[in-house]
Amino acid sequence: MQRLKRSLNYLIPAGIVLAVIIVLLLIIGADIGHVLNSFAGGLFGNRYQVGEIFVKATPLLLVGLGCAIGFNCGLVNLGAEGQLYMGAVAATAVAVNGEGMPKLLLLLLMMLAGIVAGGLWALIPGIMKAKFGLSEVIMGLMLNYIAIHFNSLSIRTFLKDPDYPFPMSKTFSPAAQLPIFLERTRFHAGFLIALILAFIIWVFLWKSPKGFEIRACGCNPRASHCVGINVNRNLIMASLFSGGLAGIAGFVEVAGVQHKLMDGISSNYGYLAIMVALLGKKHPFGVIIVSILLGMLEIGGLAAQRQAGIPNSITSVILGAVVVVFLLRDRIAINKQGVTNV
Amino acid sequence: MKIEMTNISKAFFGTPVLEGVDFSIESGEVHALLGENGAGKTTLMNILYGFYEKDGGDIYIDGEKVLIDSPKTALELGIGMVHQHFQLVETLTVGETITLGLKEEGYPFSNRKQINRRILDLSSQYGLEVDPRKRIKNLSVGERQRVEIMKLLYRSAKILILDEPTAVLSPPEIETFFDVLAQLKAAGHGIVIITHKIKEVEQISDMITVLRDGKCVLNCNLKETDESCLSQAMIGRTLKRREREMRQFDLEKPCLELQEVTICEDKLQVLDSFSLKIAPGEIVGVAGVDGNGQQALAESIIGIQGVTSGKVLLNGEEIQSLSILKRLNKGIGYIPADRHQDALLLSMDLNQNMLLKKHFNSRYLKHGLIDDKKTDEYTRNLVDKYHIKAISNEQAIRYLSGGNQQKFVLARELDAGLKLLVVFQPTRGLDMGATEFVQNQLVELSQQGTAVLLISTDLQEIMSLSDRITVIYKGQNMGELSNDGDLDVLKIGYMMGGSKNATA
Repeated sequence: MQRLKRSLNYLIPAGIVLAVIIVLLLIIGADIGHVLNSFAGGLFGNRYQVGEIFVKATPLLLVGLGCAIGFNCGLVNLGAEGQLYMGAVAATAVAVNGEGMPKLLLLLLMMLAGIVAGGLWALIPGIMKAKFGLSEVIMGLMLNYIAIHFNSLSIRTFLKDPDYPFPMSKTFSPAAQLPIFLERTRFHAGFLIALILAFIIWVFLWKSPKGFEIRACGCNPRASHCVGINVNRNLIMASLFSGGLAGIAGFVEVAGVQHKLMDGISSNYGYLAIMVALLGKKHPFGVIIVSILLGMLEIGGLAAQRQAGIPNSITSVILGAVVVVFLLRDRIAINKQGVTNV
Repeated sequence: MKIEMTNISKAFFGTPVLEGVDFSIESGEVHALLGENGAGKTTLMNILYGFYEKDGGDIYIDGEKVLIDSPKTALELGIGMVHQHFQLVETLTVGETITLGLKEEGYPFSNRKQINRRILDLSSQYGLEVDPRKRIKNLSVGERQRVEIMKLLYRSAKILILDEPTAVLSPPEIETFFDVLAQLKAAGHGIVIITHKIKEVEQISDMITVLRDGKCVLNCNLKETDESCLSQAMIGRTLKRREREMRQFDLEKPCLELQEVTICEDKLQVLDSFSLKIAPGEIVGVAGVDGNGQQALAESIIGIQGVTSGKVLLNGEEIQSLSILKRLNKGIGYIPADRHQDALLLSMDLNQNMLLKKHFNSRYLKHGLIDDKKTDEYTRNLVDKYHIKAISNEQAIRYLSGGNQQKFVLARELDAGLKLLVVFQPTRGLDMGATEFVQNQLVELSQQGTAVLLISTDLQEIMSLSDRITVIYKGQNMGELSNDGDLDVLKIGYMMGGSKNATA
């Protein structure tokens, strides 16, 4: 009985989302069977498509992990998009300047550069919040614009490929490219890095005393302060980690997928990751599952657009509906528990 | 103009806060409404001002029965109220604030110059200095209060109700404020002062009404009464004393010593040269009306608030510049008044809340990581020992009752080896059983040699637990009394009301 209730808790919102999808498809006059067919075909039709799911999921997972750390400390990191760009720029700078280095060393250096750049970029709103009480949300958003345009600037000037007329960096040497995981796909080793990091972050947040402090600060900063926890230091640390992970995502995108730096390197991963973190309940394992599901939704949606002519915007609508319905479900569950137990 | 309120009653959620209260105020009279916290003073006046609807009783103005259903009606009838927490818009100018919501001539194209002139006229008439062009956010608390009063005068209110008007003012501002009151009175206004400060009542009022537990216990002319009569009426119940053995302590080597600790907050001294000593094993009670610096006192010892000047010594060692963590690690425990805000992670479970503060204690760690099994074991022990009622250790602490939450905080703080425990309102909101349990724990702890600083607004609690009693008033230590057989309750009442002459 208890179990049935619990599964109903998920089935009802899932049903609502499904209903929204069906109504939408009916409105645009699509043949539902054909849509589902092309959606599924797009996902599992061939190994390339399967690889694409993980190509999409990798940056979402990395940035989502970062946002989850932020949320757990009471920090809303809306600046992840900018941190991702800064990470990509820094990794590219290392890649183009480090030609001739051994592959492992070069990749490690690139990743480190991504972490540092993303982390420092996140540190700005983090310190502003901790020291001056400024909103990290607005700060982060504004810094996004700066970072995105700094990226544009860099590929037109100091990182530009001189042999090519378009604004982009040189294509990376093979030493600066992440190894491919699955042959004949773009499924690269970045996903493995992300999985390992997810595990490390889980241990850190849920098992280590320092991680406990971060979560305590997110839960009740005033009480944390009263028991002697340095809340500001935790806020700054959380923003550093959060930005570092977004920076790694930037590194992974240039080293694993594009193999060069250009405009629009992130397809809104920084913003989508907020939803990933929320739907994943701010928990690393939840973030893994949601980022893969989101990758599937994107890839399947693209296939449905190609084959059944369904505009890709529908995936965004579905995503929005999912977030709204599931956040509402959580809130209702909390309220109910409150009534039965008090 | 004469207002009479007869047989007023009011209940919140089934709990009566006013029961058959009579009250009256006339033009040219200052009427003090006196009582402890929660006696129903503000509620009574909020009914007169139309903020609350009364459950029973009648209001008459000059013998005519009236229905006051909103502050707007009250103002039309000439009744105005200034709340304890001012209701001002920071970004408006004084002139705009005073005329806010009024449709004077030419509205919406108001003639500011003319309005400002009228404000200045009024202000010079009553000695209420305000500059109509200044912005509210640039005003001091005293100025803000004057603006609030001007707001009422501009609307030609005849009866002014002032809720705790002196609570936020500094001594010189209070003097100015009293001058203003005298002028308002001379001009024929009737003024109700809601307060718990006996000293001020004597200085300014003509009539006095004392409320206690929602009932009117005294209504008389100032000349017919005196301080002792008032403080007895206010505190009321003959305080019962818990059986307590007399203990002697050596204050040569105190566990905690405060030397002239001062804390300034926004230019206001919330703690004013406060000195105190507590010997190991001693319980010292700090009595006082809420909001007289108790929070600052507790937090200055823990380190949540930094001291502006003065010293805090723990066993002879200066700790006032140490971090909170370092102080706690020296064996200080703290039970704050607001457990939800200051002590608990409401959405986390019992285990995690138990870990808070102890998360770096090697007892709960294995290879540097938190050992869930040990934590759970330890929490279960404490839950049993302190009879905390919870479904399981994985239950979010939010869903425990207030009493069980308080027991939980107590269990966490009363760890072995505590040298000093600072408790602030430990039994507020608890039922009798939980109260007794918490109090017994405090006594037991002191018997083991821990010094206990008990800060409470509940005089009964202070008297039943403390070896020594001090009174805090406006951040000052008003004096100490030994809690022996011939403790003079009235004296404490005086001191809580700020009477210096009774200082022992």
